[in-house]
Order: sequence, then structure tokens, then C-alpha cells
Amino acid sequence: MSRINKNVILALLTLTSSAFLLFQLYYYKHYLSAKNGAGLSKSKGSRIGFDGTQWRTVKKFIMLTSSQNVPVFLIDPLILELINKNFEKVKNASHGSASECKFFCVPRDFTAFALQYHLWKNEEGWFRIAENMGFQCLKIESKDPRLDGIDSLSGTEIPLHYICTLASHAVHLVVFHERSGNYLWHGHLRLKGHIDRKFVPFRKLQFGRYPGAFDRPELQQITIDGLEVLIPKDPMHFLEEIPHSRFIECRYKEARAFFQQYLDDNTVEAMAFRKSAKELLQLAAKTLKKLGVRFWLSSGTCLGWYRQCGIIPYSKDVDLGIFIQDYKSDIISAFQDAGLPLKHKFGKVEDSLELSFQGKDDVKLDIFFFYEETDHMWNGGTQAKTGKKFKYLFPKFTLCWTEFIDMKVRVPCETIEYIEANYGKTWKVPVRTWDWKRSPHNVQPNGVWPVSEWDEVIQLY
Amino acid sequence: MDDWKPSPLIKPCGARKKRSWYLTWKYKLTNQRALRRFCQTGAVLFLLVTVIVNIKLILDTRRAISEANEDPEPEKDYDEALGRLESPRRRGSGPRRVLDVEVYSSRSKVYVAVDGTTVLEDEAREQGRGIHVIVLNQATGHVMAKRVFDTYSPHEDEAMVLFLNMVAPGRVLICTVKDEGSFHLKDTAKALLRSLGSQAGPALGWRDTWAFVGRKGGPVLGEKHSKSPALSSWGDPVLLKTDVPLSSAEEAECHWADTELNRRRHRFCSKVEGYGSVCSCKDPTPIEFSPDPLPDNKVFNVPVAVIAGNRPNYLYRMLRSLLSAQGVSPQMITVFIDGYYEEPMDVVALFGLRGIQHTPISIKNARVSQHYKASLTATFNLFPEAKFAVVLEEDLDIAVDFFSFLSQSIHLLEEDDSLYCISAWNDQGYEHTAEDPALLYRVETMPGLGWVLRKSLYKEELEPKWPTPEKLWDWDMWMRMPEQRRGRECIIPDISRSYHFGIVGLNMNGYFHEAYFKKHKFNTVPGVQLRNVDSLKKEAYEVEVHRLLSEAEVLDHSKNPCEDSFLPDTEGHTYVAFIRMEKDDDFTTWTQLAKCLHIWDLDVRGNHRGLWRLFRKRNHFLVVGVPASPYSMKKPPSITPIFLEPPPKEEGAPGAAEQT
Repeated sequence: MSRINKNVILALLTLTSSAFLLFQLYYYKHYLSAKNGAGLSKSKGSRIGFDGTQWRTVKKFIMLTSSQNVPVFLIDPLILELINKNFEKVKNASHGSASECKFFCVPRDFTAFALQYHLWKNEEGWFRIAENMGFQCLKIESKDPRLDGIDSLSGTEIPLHYICTLASHAVHLVVFHERSGNYLWHGHLRLKGHIDRKFVPFRKLQFGRYPGAFDRPELQQITIDGLEVLIPKDPMHFLEEIPHSRFIECRYKEARAFFQQYLDDNTVEAMAFRKSAKELLQLAAKTLKKLGVRFWLSSGTCLGWYRQCGIIPYSKDVDLGIFIQDYKSDIISAFQDAGLPLKHKFGKVEDSLELSFQGKDDVKLDIFFFYEETDHMWNGGTQAKTGKKFKYLFPKFTLCWTEFIDMKVRVPCETIEYIEANYGKTWKVPVRTWDWKRSPHNVQPNGVWPVSEWDEVIQLY
Repeated sequence: MDDWKPSPLIKPCGARKKRSWYLTWKYKLTNQRALRRFCQTGAVLFLLVTVIVNIKLILDTRRAISEANEDPEPEKDYDEALGRLESPRRRGSGPRRVLDVEVYSSRSKVYVAVDGTTVLEDEAREQGRGIHVIVLNQATGHVMAKRVFDTYSPHEDEAMVLFLNMVAPGRVLICTVKDEGSFHLKDTAKALLRSLGSQAGPALGWRDTWAFVGRKGGPVLGEKHSKSPALSSWGDPVLLKTDVPLSSAEEAECHWADTELNRRRHRFCSKVEGYGSVCSCKDPTPIEFSPDPLPDNKVFNVPVAVIAGNRPNYLYRMLRSLLSAQGVSPQMITVFIDGYYEEPMDVVALFGLRGIQHTPISIKNARVSQHYKASLTATFNLFPEAKFAVVLEEDLDIAVDFFSFLSQSIHLLEEDDSLYCISAWNDQGYEHTAEDPALLYRVETMPGLGWVLRKSLYKEELEPKWPTPEKLWDWDMWMRMPEQRRGRECIIPDISRSYHFGIVGLNMNGYFHEAYFKKHKFNTVPGVQLRNVDSLKKEAYEVEVHRLLSEAEVLDHSKNPCEDSFLPDTEGHTYVAFIRMEKDDDFTTWTQLAKCLHIWDLDVRGNHRGLWRLFRKRNHFLVVGVPASPYSMKKPPSITPIFLEPPPKEEGAPGAAEQT
């Protein structure tokens, strides 16, 4: 009997303690996560409705920005995705008729908005009003990269990011700055010494891990969940840009050091070449953009960007790279329509394709197509006289945006590896005589085209 | 419940609260020792977990609370650290303290040291002549202003009076003379020095040395003076050592209402001195101006670059007038400061504008020119969408209708390729030669002094070949060269929309300013509607000029054009005179005529294909160079063009003209 009693007591104890445990876990999740910011709000899926903290925070934030004329638009990938899926419905929905909270109440840690800095007129005082409304705000500033290219200018810092929390939800306001080349740029969210690292879970932010570049989006006003917001007119395009938006700045300081050592060539011929090369690159970029073909600066043009933030005046041509999977058959005709006749075509789509177009003033545009293997990339070369094939090997790379002579263009993110593969460790030293068959560090002989194919793979105009 | 049957497969962990099931379970358990043991240990473990979770909960809660309390602390530390930096002196040794001040005055050297730190030292040759004035904060001992007034030259004493009057009461004033400071020290200035309590100041004589320390409106704290024994020699060097008692911070500061603007004002006023009523405790002058917006403002989004050096008082005056102009958009303004000077930056911050500092490159004219290049490049980088930029300098007053003038004319720059710039300044627009605020001209010269630059011109033509730092060229002279200008013209108003008030500058001095800039006409009428703007386009302007010349009455060419009677005493007529001009670059007669008309004669300005347009006695006065000008055909055959002989072999003009 005593044994049974013991068991009963034990069971009772277990029951009460498990009840306690459950209560404590509940308290732990709700009370503490509320204190620590948006941490674990996902567990609260059951309380989705118009009284959700996300919705209320966003509503207050929109009230704040519209009353203070802060030009913001929604860029939150999660919500844009949802909007994009229901785009027709959203567009047709009349004002305030939303019956359920479908977008802003979705559980998430942040809601991301973008701020168009150049349209912002009353920066001063905005912070104070936000704090009066109950927001806790963090401002991240940095020096202005647009002044980096100019020797020895130092200005006031520009804001890059604002993070404002209210209740347990945070709004991430990404500040977009206008850059030369008709695009918007946002900075890297770098936490400086005195910033509270637990203010929000910074690692979960969608923007700011790297600087980013975006096409300037056209905006439209929509009403979702009873709130009026501006969103990009083409949310799909914006969403597609996000994963490839990483931006790298030219190395202006190193470029200046380079010019101290080697002096810039300011002869009339050099200036004329730089001008026509720039125009050619602009034309090429425009044409390829229209076709929707990705390209990057390759060979000498890439070296010029990396080493001296400009065009190497004695390089004689403009070099671009394109992945062979992006090849489109109408590239040649598009360039011809743009006033750039085909000069030669080597190789074929399956192997070593290379196109060359004739620009104005004897400047040539070379397009190399890159083929991907398991552990490297390569492009091909062909000697017209002998039919010899060459292969140029590169380590694998991804693409980043950069700004080059007032244009937004792509370059390999792993630029140094790319350039060292091509030009070796001594790329810093200018070399004026260059033999494309022998000089590159990564050139390999690749056999000879069979004579029967010559008509197809060696076309000269 | 009744039809429930115990299943042998059931697992003890899948417990459900049903009485009958519990009993069965219990029964089974009592028969299985090992299983019972197992359950007991399980229960104990479960209790242990509960305890651990509890402890963790307590720990987390405590940490969260303590974090919430800790948060403001680092900030406080930071503030304290700042406070420590700001006033290292007061902290060390009590609130009431004295400063130990040394002031030295001599022929070739002056210096001032405060608590052993040299705050002024000038022993450069041929520089820094006159009275050096330093203002110290009476509570902290910080230098708030440092000026030199070359009172050997005329009008500098007026500037000194202006400055000393602007210094707030209570501040510590230090004066010391280098070389000579009395030649043009007039009675007003002497009276002011007397009112400061100085004995020797009012009696300062030729080449005397003098050192003075006193409180504005309060007691003199020390003075030394040495008379020059003879005209050809200087007074003995004097060294004044004195103690200056510091007063408390409350006495030294004003108590303005706590607004964003006043916070800016406070930051400014506790740092610098010499800006007058902007820092007065009662009714300070506003630092925010809300000029009327401009309807249909075409230049609202055009960036404005203000090129500045180290003349903060000029910059202050300039920015005031700029921010008061109708249609200004402050967020488009950027001030570019040539050098790491603090005070100009303070002025920029006072008005809440964007300021950018530029490390000086090269020297003299080349430094200015490099500064221009960097500033223009930066402007177009910061505003990549802008098609134009307005370029201003720190020594200009801006007319109230400056932006209205540009808004009405800027489309010309877009539509007419033969234009080089739009400028707010008419080189020949003096009080007696300009009349019509609604009238515009086309001229072949580039006046500068408040102008609009087209981005494409800068990016495609000027920037790539801008003079390099080793070339000591004036940027504006370079821009006027035919290789750059390529025959293009600028639009200017008859009455200037800017006023050049600077009298100290790279190529500027008091005499030069008085002769060429002081009497310039400056528009003060708001909202002037410009007349017939489209007639300024290339072809239309030729039609307009031909119409004018056909209408114009030919003057009596037998009279002396320098005489006032050359033009009849009429109003609103148009007159024409023909002067000799053999070739396109023959300006012999024009230069002489300009000289006697007291207008710009240092080089040729304001011409359009051998035609000059100005006003005399309220009549429009046209001058045509014959036979070089294509308008020569309008000359009646009977008229012989006027020829004025240049004076035989004279000294050259006083140096190159400054237009920066």
C-alpha cells in the first residue's frame, strides 16, 4: 500500500511540475522574446489578425513617414512576393475593403522599406518625432562613397540604414542613394563599436549584408491590408534583382597610388580613345540590357577598372564576358542594328565562341563567351590564319555590380583571382605589348579546328 | 468506457488521463519491478529538467532586466568623455581660474600665447601687417575668432570697427600690432578703442608697437605700447604678460528656447565670435529663412555648389543672402571648403547645410583651380540626375530673384547649343551703365560670379582636360580660352543678380575692389519678369540686334565720346556709336572708351560680334566696332568711326583681374 502511495505522490508531482513547466515555457517565449525584440515571434502564428504587432508597427511607421514626407517604398522580399502572387487582386482591390490581414500580418522579424534620400527634404527632426511616437531607432551612417573617386574630399557622413522597433516588430529602412549611372545604391550595414548588437537580430536582415545596387524602380501606390504603400511597379523585377544586387566599389585609393607611380596619360590620343571606348561600352551595355543578356567587364577593361578605375588608354578595345547559357542568337543582329557591324566570329555556341564588333574610331568590342566546368570556367580563342584553338582558364566566380565611368556594370566579385589568373601576380605593372596567344597566364593550346569546320568557326568580315 | 479492453501493446509513455486505464497501468507496474524503477527515475529526471528550466528562466529574466538598465550607460560614458575633451582646463582646478596670456608686438613678428599654447604666431615677411585681434571665450579660454586688419590700408579700420562691435560683451579681446597699424586708423576706430578702455590705442602712431588685453565692455587687463622714435624706424618690441580671470560658464552663454534651430545656434555661438546678432541673447537674427516659393520653379532640383576658402564671415553673409533668395532649395546646396578650416564648416553647420572639405592641392591659382574641379566633379556625383549646376563663390551676395532669373532662362541652355553658360553677373553693369532688370544679353565672354554650368559641357569637354595641378592657371581664364569656349556665348542680365563684395582674395585688394566692383548695380526687386527670353537664342538674337540697330539714332560722332554731353539728355531712346575696330581682336578704341566711361577696361568683356550694349543716362547705348563687326553695314556712309589713341607708354594695369 505504501508503495502505491509513493507512486501516486510521484505521479502527482510529475503532473504539477509538467504543468509548471508548460506555463514557464509559455512565459519564457512570450515575455522574454517580447523584451529581446522580434526574436521568436513566429510561435505566435495563432494571433494573426489586424491587431498583430507587425501590422500595427507598420501602420504607425507609414503614418510617421507620410506625415513627415519621408519618401519611402516597400521592398520587403517576403511581402513583395505575396503581393506579386496576388498582383491582380491587389491592384483591383478598392480602398479599405480588406477583410483580413493577408500581407502585413505574416509572421516575420522585419519589414523592409527603402528611402529615396535625394527626395527627402526635412531630414532634421524626423528622428525625434519617431521616438516620440514610441519607436526606438538606430541610425547607421558612413562616409559618402560618391566622394571617394575624387582626390582628397571629405564630407559629412550620409545615413545608410535606419532600424526602428516598436513593440516587438522592427522596420528596416534602407537608404537608397542616387549614383552616376542612373541606379540606386545602398550601403553595407556595419555595426560600429558603440552599437548595441542585440538591438535586433541583425543577422536576419534582408538588406545590408553587402552594399547593393538596383535599377531605379518606377513606383506605384497600392492599398493592402488597409494601408497605403508605395511599391515598385514591377515587383517581380525588383525581387529578381535582390539576390544579385551585391555591389563593390572601385578601389579609388589604390588607383590614385597607381597614378602616382605611373602618371596618367593625358595626351590628346589617350583622351580621344577613352572617350570612344566609353561611348562604345555605353552602347554595348544598352544593347545587351535590351536583350536581357548579363555581361561583365573582362580582360583589359576589367584590369583597367580594378587597377586604375578607368580605361587603359593603350588597350585598343573593350572586352566583355558573357556566360554561354545567356547566349541569344539575336545578339549579332542587335549589335548591327545599334551601328556596330560584326568584325569576326570565332568558334560556335558549343565551343569557344567569340564575337568581335567594329566600333567607331577603330575601337573594337570583343565579347568572350564563358563555359562552365565543374571546377573552373574558360573561354576560347582562335587564330584565324592557322585555325589553332586556345583556352583561357579562370577559377569559378560570381558577378557583382560596380560603377565604371558613370555606368552600372558587372564585374567578377572575386576580381583579384580573376585578374591574377589572366595577368599573373604582376598585374599592377603596366604592360604595353600584349600577345593574346602568349602573354596571358592562363592560356593553353586547345588543338586545331578541323579544316572542314573553318567556314563556320572562322568568319571574318 | 465499458467496451474498453486493455491492449498489451500499449506503451506507458502514451499516457492518457483515463481512470480505468490508469488502474490497469498501475496494476501492471506493480508487477514489473524494473519498469517501476524506470518510471521513478523518469519522474526524477523530469523534475530535474523542470528545475533547470526554472533556473534558466530566472537567469534570463535577470539578464534582460539588467541589460535594460545597462543600456544608457555607455552613452553616458561617451558624453562624459566628450565633456572632458571640451574643457580640459576647468576640470583640473576648480571653477574660478585664471588664464596666463602673453602678447608680443614688433616690426616683424607678433605672437599670442594662452596658458603657454601659442594661438597666434606671424613672422612671415611682407604679410600680416596691421592689427591682429583675437577673441577668447571668457569661460573656457578658447579662441573664438582670429582676425588681422591691415589698418595701414584704407577701409580696413572700418572692417575692424564692424568686427569689434559684433563681439559679444564679456569676451576677452587681445590686440597686437605687426609692422604698421596706424596709417589708415581713423577717428571712429580710435574712439572705439578708447571705449574699450585702451590708453595707447587711440593714440597709436606711425610704426608704434602695441599690445592690449581687455574684456569687451569691462576692465582693461593689460596694455603695453612703444612709440616709434622716427619716421624711418619702428617702436621697440613689447611683450605683455597678464593674467585673465575666467568667469563661469552660465555668464558666458545665452538661454534660448530649446529647438532644433537654437541647438545649432548654440553650438555655433559657443565656438566662434564675430557674427553679431546671430548670437545675441535677446532676439537673435533668424538662421532659417522661408523665402516665398517660386511658382513653376525650373531650377528647384538644380544643385548649387558654393566654392569657399577660409573667409567664414564672407561665407556667412553669402549663405544668408542665398538662403533668402526666392525659390532656393537648401538640400541642393553643397559648400566646398578648400582646406580643413573649422570655422567655415561651423558656418555651414549653423545653416544646416552640407559641407565638404577639400585637402588643398598645389598652390595659388592652381589650388583654386583644383578646388573648382573637385567641387564640380563632386557636385555631379552627388546629384547624378542633374543636368546643370549653379556655381557660386563665397564672396557674392545673391539677388532675391536669382533663382527666378535662372528659372526663366535655363531652358535656353537646353535648347541652344551655341550657349556656354548663363551668368548672373554683367561685367559692364555698373550703377551708371545698367538700367533694365528685365533685359538679357548674349556675350562672348564668360563672366562667372554666379553662373550655371551644363553637365554635358563639364563631363565631356572640361573635366577630361582640366588644367593639371602643376599648371598655375586661373580656372576662369582657362575657361575663357578659345579652345574651351569654341565660339559659344553666355547669357547675362543687364542688371546683375549677384554682387561681388569680397575685398580680400587671391587677386583682390581694397583699391581694386573700389575701382571695379563697388559701384556694380545689383537687382533688389523680387519677381522680375524677364522680357522676351526666347529672343536670346542664336538666330532670334541676330534679328533682335538688327531691329535695335535699325531703330537706333546715330550719335554725333564729332563730339568727344568721353564727355557726358555725347549722349543727349533724353530717356528711353536707343543710340548707336561706331568706333574703330580693325580686326576681331583690335580693342584699342574700346578699351579707351571703357576707361573713360569708368567700366571694366582690364580686358574685353561683354561684346557680341563687335557690339557692346549698355545704358547711359537711361538710354540704351550701342557701340559697334567698324569694320570688324558684321553690324558695320548699319553705319551710315557719312560717319567716320571714332578712334581713341591709347595713352603713350603707361604702367601696366594693376595685375590680372580676379573673377574668382
